Amino acid sequence: AALSRRYVLCEVVSEDPRCRQCIEDRAVGLAVRDAIGRVHGDYGLACCSISFTVKYLNAYTGTVLLRCRKDSYRLLCSALPFVRQLESRSQRHPCFLNTLHVGGTIRTCQKFLIQYNRRQLLMLLQNCTNEEERRCVQKSLLSCSLTEEQSQSGDEEDDGTE
Amino acid sequence: ARPGGRMARAEPPAATFERRVLRSAAEHHYLRVRLELPDGGARPSVAQFKQLVVSALRELHGEVGAALPVDVLTYEEKTLSAILRVVSSGLVKLWSALTLLGFYQNRRCAFRVLQTSPFLLALSGNSRELVLD
Repeated sequence: AALSRRYVLCEVVSEDPRCRQCIEDRAVGLAVRDAIGRVHGDYGLACCSISFTVKYLNAYTGTVLLRCRKDSYRLLCSALPFVRQLESRSQRHPCFLNTLHVGGTIRTCQKFLIQYNRRQLLMLLQNCTNEEERRCVQKSLLSCSLTEEQSQSGDEEDDGTE
Repeated sequence: ARPGGRMARAEPPAATFERRVLRSAAEHHYLRVRLELPDGGARPSVAQFKQLVVSALRELHGEVGAALPVDVLTYEEKTLSAILRVVSSGLVKLWSALTLLGFYQNRRCAFRVLQTSPFLLALSGNSRELVLD
């Protein structure tokens, strides 16, 4: 294969519930690029920026899929812990990125994400405090299904009581 | 059951010699460099020189580069030449950072690397500056 890429799946974790509106692809891309520039300098920034994009973003769950070249994915992964805040529309919110999975294709990352979301939903069910939440989560668990267009399983989200 | 070694031939004779090849085994690399400041301004002291080297590394290679263990072994303020020591794995980063450094306190400058070697002793003689009489 001539051009190999690596896809890094991470999630944005923040205590501030307003950070969720900050999660957009431009803001996340700029924050990651800035962190790479600080940690690895001009050379690292140029290396990683060759084929760098935010491929997928889910603001409800905070899932982000980044793409980079195979030769420079280590620079990218080592700079992700240095992302401290997201900035958008002149608002900045503190947060951090949790790396979930590194894969060679989007398909492997998607498979992992589906399994991960399933496990997260089960954990949410276990941690439900009152009966109302429990019924809500159970209903959405039983109703989600995989259609032909690959709808994302587990899109329903709690109201920031993470 | 003979332990396979580097010399896995059929039947070694009574050991007369043993040959070990170590590739790039030296821990540190030494560089003799000279800083060229064409304008005749104030010369940097040894601390400012080290600060300059570290800031060059930080610009090109970020915080990871600035954390590279670099030592200034000797420094002559009059000629602005120094001997630097760096871990072998960081030689490329250091040399590239020195090459691309262009400014010291907004003054034009350039680093010339005169000699480099994994052994400090090799920097004591320089055949380029040899004067034959």
